[in-house]
Amino acid sequence: MKAPRYLSAFVVVALCTAGAWALRAGVTAPGSDPVVAPSSLTASSELAGATRLRHAVNIRSGPATPKVLTNSLNHGGAPVPVACATCHTTRAPNLALHASEDLKEFHQGLAYQHGAQSCLSCHNATNYDTLRRADGTSVDYPRVIELCAQCHGPQYRDFKAGAHGGMTGHWDLARGPRERNTCVDCHDPHAPAFPKVRPVFVPVDRGAVQQAQRAAAHPVSDSAHE
Amino acid sequence: MSSPGTSSSLQLAADPRRGHFANYVRFLWRAGIAATDGNGWFYAWMTLLTAVGLVGLNAWAVQIRDGMAVTAMTDHVSWGLYIANFTFMVGLAAGGVMMVIPAYLYHDEEMHDVVIVGEMLAIAAIVMCIGFVVVDLGRPDRAWHMIPGIGVFNWPLSMLTWDVVVLNGYLLLNLHICGYLLYMRFLGRRPNPRWYVPFVFLSIVWAISIHTVTAFLYCGLGGRPFWNTALLAPRFLASAFVSGPAFIIIGLQILRRVAGVRMSDKPLSILTNIMRVTILINLLMVVSEVFTEFYSGSSHTAAARYLYFGLHGAHGLVPWIWTSVVFNVVAAILILRPGVVAHKRQLTLVCVLAFVAVWIEKGMGLIIPGFIPSTMHELVEYSPSLIEWQIMAGIWALGLLVYTIALKVGLPVLTAPRSAKH
Amino acid sequence: MSESPNSPPEASPDSAIGSDPGGMTRRTALKLAGATLGAAAFAKAIAPIADWAADVSVDEFLQKHYRELTPEAMAKIIARLEADALEEHGVAVHIADPKPQPGVKFGYALNLSICVGCRRCAEACHKENNHDRPSGNSYIRVYEMQKGTMDLAQGNVTYTHPVADPEKYYMPVQCQQCDNPPCVDVCPVEATWKEKDGIVVVDYNWCIGCRYCEAACPYHARRFNWTKPEVPAEEINPVQAYLSNRLRPQGVMEKCTYCLHRTREGKLPACLEACPTGARVFGNLLDPESEIRWVLANKRVFVLKEELGTRPSFFYFFDK
Repeated sequence: MKAPRYLSAFVVVALCTAGAWALRAGVTAPGSDPVVAPSSLTASSELAGATRLRHAVNIRSGPATPKVLTNSLNHGGAPVPVACATCHTTRAPNLALHASEDLKEFHQGLAYQHGAQSCLSCHNATNYDTLRRADGTSVDYPRVIELCAQCHGPQYRDFKAGAHGGMTGHWDLARGPRERNTCVDCHDPHAPAFPKVRPVFVPVDRGAVQQAQRAAAHPVSDSAHE
Repeated sequence: MSSPGTSSSLQLAADPRRGHFANYVRFLWRAGIAATDGNGWFYAWMTLLTAVGLVGLNAWAVQIRDGMAVTAMTDHVSWGLYIANFTFMVGLAAGGVMMVIPAYLYHDEEMHDVVIVGEMLAIAAIVMCIGFVVVDLGRPDRAWHMIPGIGVFNWPLSMLTWDVVVLNGYLLLNLHICGYLLYMRFLGRRPNPRWYVPFVFLSIVWAISIHTVTAFLYCGLGGRPFWNTALLAPRFLASAFVSGPAFIIIGLQILRRVAGVRMSDKPLSILTNIMRVTILINLLMVVSEVFTEFYSGSSHTAAARYLYFGLHGAHGLVPWIWTSVVFNVVAAILILRPGVVAHKRQLTLVCVLAFVAVWIEKGMGLIIPGFIPSTMHELVEYSPSLIEWQIMAGIWALGLLVYTIALKVGLPVLTAPRSAKH
Repeated sequence: MSESPNSPPEASPDSAIGSDPGGMTRRTALKLAGATLGAAAFAKAIAPIADWAADVSVDEFLQKHYRELTPEAMAKIIARLEADALEEHGVAVHIADPKPQPGVKFGYALNLSICVGCRRCAEACHKENNHDRPSGNSYIRVYEMQKGTMDLAQGNVTYTHPVADPEKYYMPVQCQQCDNPPCVDVCPVEATWKEKDGIVVVDYNWCIGCRYCEAACPYHARRFNWTKPEVPAEEINPVQAYLSNRLRPQGVMEKCTYCLHRTREGKLPACLEACPTGARVFGNLLDPESEIRWVLANKRVFVLKEELGTRPSFFYFFDK
C-alpha cells in the first residue's frame, strides 16, 4: 500500500507549508500575526487511535494600533502618519459625535453605518490608541474580536463553534493547523454589513444563455407567487 | 423478388446424407445467398440503406473521436434522440409479438403464416435498440464492462442491467424461433412444436417484460417527477401495441405489393382490431396522465407544461407533442371506421399516423421533458444536432437492412402453401 | 447454385459465386464491385475512430475495476497516468490514492443566511479539480433564490449583478454525498460507489458513459465529460488523487468528491477555503466535538429534497 507513504509525506508538507498559508493570508488582510487561540476556541477532533499531536487554530489578530494621516508631507512627499493620541490628548472628547460629517477636520468621508453607536462607544476616550469595552475597560486593537463579541453574541458563538467566518487549513487538527479570519477581516467596523461584491465565474455551460433570457423575459412571473 | 429459384434454393437444398452441422452451415450459406440476391429494386433499396448506414457510421466515428459534445446533449438534458429512439424501438420489438398472441394463444391458423413477420420485426427492432444504446455510450470501448463474468454487472440493483438481460434474451428467443422455423423449412421437415411453441409463449411474456423493464428504467427515478409515475409501464405497453401492429400492417402491404406474397385480408383485420383497442387505451392513459399533471397544479407539472404549452418562453417540444396528439386522435378516429381494412390507402395512412404519433410520444415527448426543467429547475432546451440525426438515420437504416434481409430469407415460408407448414 | 460444399460459410457469397456458370458473371462482377466499394466506404466511414483509438492504450482498455486492483496494479496504473500527464501536458503531476480514514464520515453544512452568492466556491472547485476550461465546468452551482420561498423554479444561476441582493438568498448546490444515493444504484457496471467515509466516487477508468447516474441524481450534481477536458499546462493542479481531481478522460462521468485528495489528508475542501464569509462548515460527522456536529446540534438544519429519501450528508441552515 502506498497510502501511508503519501500520508506521512503529506504531513511533512503540510507542516512546512503552514507558514505559507499565513503568508498568503497576509496578502488579503493586514495584521496577520497569528495568535494562538485560547483553548476554548480550539476545536478538538479527538479520534480513537489518532496521534496525540494537536495543531493550533490560529485566529488572525486584529489590526495593529492604527495611525492617522495628517496634512503635512514628509520629505518624500507622503502624508505624515501620527498616532491617535497625538491629537486626541490635546482635545476634549465629544461624546455626542456620531458621524464624520459632524467633524470639522480629520476622519472626513468616513462612511459610518453601525447602528446608533457614537465614536466613543468603541474608541477609548481615555486612551485613543486602544478600544473600549462597554464596561469602560480598554482593549488593544489586535484583540478587537473581544470588543465585537460584546454585542454580537450569536455571531461570536457561531464563530467559536467554527460556523462563522472564513478559514483555511485543516479540518483535522491532528494533521495540521487551521487559520481563521477575525471579525474585521471581512467586516469594516465602521460599516460592518458585508459589502456587495461582483460575483465571479458565471456559468458558461451550453444552455445557460437561455436561462438568462428567461430571467430577463419573465422577471415578474418568476417572483409573482412569493 | 420471390423468384422461384430463391424459394426452392432454401427449400430443397438439404442433403439428407449429411449431419446437422453440415446442413446448418449449408442453410446459413443458402440464407446468405437468398439475402443478397434480388432484382434491381432490391439492390437499389439495399444500396440506399447501406449508404445511409455508412453516413451514420461515419457520424458515430466522429462522435467517438471528438466526444459527445458533437451532440446537442448537455449536463441538463443528458439523454436525447438516441435514448428516445431506443425507448420507441423497445416498444416496436414488444409490439412485434402482437402477431404471435392471436396466432398461438387463439390458434388462428391464418396468422401462423405471417407471425414470422412480427418476430423478424422484433429482431430488427432489438438490433436497433442495441445500436441506440451503444451510440449513447460515452465509452463504447468499455461496453465489455457490462458483460457478466469478465466485467462488473450491477444486477439486480441497476435497471439497466435488467434491460441488458431482457433485451438480449428477447433477441435470442426470436432468433431461435425464426431460425428454427426457417431451418426446418430448409430441411423440408415439419417443425416440431416442442422446439418452438414453448419459446413462442415465452416470447409473449418476454415481450411484456422488455417494455416493462424499460419503463422501470425511467419511472424508478424519484428525482424526475415526469417519469416517476406508475402509469409509465402500462402506457409503454399500450403504445407499443399501437406502433408494432401499425408497422407490421404497413410491412405486410408492402410485401403483398412488392414481393407478391399471397395473403388474405384476415391478418390485416386482426391487427387492425388490435390497434382499435390499444390506440384507445393509449389515448385514455395519455388523458389520465395529462389530467393528473394539470389538475393538481403542483410544481411537478413543470415538465408537462413545458411539453404541451412551453414554459417561460421555452417551447421546443410544443410542435412535436401536438403533432403527436393530432396524429393519434386522427388515427384513432379513422381506424374506428368499420370499412377501414378494405380501404388499403386509408389503412396505410392510419398506420403511418399512429406510428409517427407513438414515435414522438414515446421518444422526444417522453425522454426530453424528463430533463426539462432539470432536477434543479434549470430550463435548458434540447434540439438534436445534425450528427445525432445522422446516427439515428444510420441505425434505422441498419434496422431496415436487418429486417429486409430477414424477410428476404423468410420469404419462402411466407409464400409457401400453408399445408406445407402444418 | 452449385458451390463446393467445402466452401467456408464465412466467405462472402459474392466471391464464391464467381465459380457459377456463365449467366451470372455480369451480376457477379457487379456484386464484387459493389462489395469492394462498400468495404472502401466502410473503411473511410470509421476512419475517425482510428485517431481516437491511438489515444487508448491496451493497458487502459484491459484495466480492471478499482476494487479489483492489487496495490501493485494500482501503482502501475498511477505511474501510467502520471506518465500520460507528463507526455500530454508536460506537467509532473502526483497522483495519490488516499483511502477513507477509519472513524471518519464527512459532512458538510452551508449557512444560507451568510452565503452572499459570490460563486468563489464554484471558481475554486473549477481550479482545484482540473475542470475543463472552455465549458467552465464546476461541481458547484449557486442558485439565487427568492426570499420567502424554497421554489427552485424561481431560482437563477446566471446572475451577474453585484451580490448579495437583499431580496434574495443564495444556495450553492453540489453533490450531497447521499447515504442512499440513487446514482450508485442505477450504475450498470458499479463504476460509482459510496466509500466508507461517505464520499460517492467514480472510477473514471471503469465508467462506460451511459449517463444513467446523471439522470438519476436529483441534485444535478453529476457532470459528463462531453469532450476531453482542456486545462492549460500552467493551470493544472498537480496534487491529484485517482478518485478525484486527476485529469479525466473523455466520455466519462465525474462529480464532487468533497476534494478527497485534500480532505482525506485532513485538509479543508477547496470550496470552503474559498468562501469569504464562512458559510461553509466541514468536518467529521462521527466526531461529537466537530464543528459540523455543533451545527447539526445547534442549528435548525434541513436537507434538499428530503422527501426523495436520498439522505444527504450535506445540510443547509438559516441563522435567521
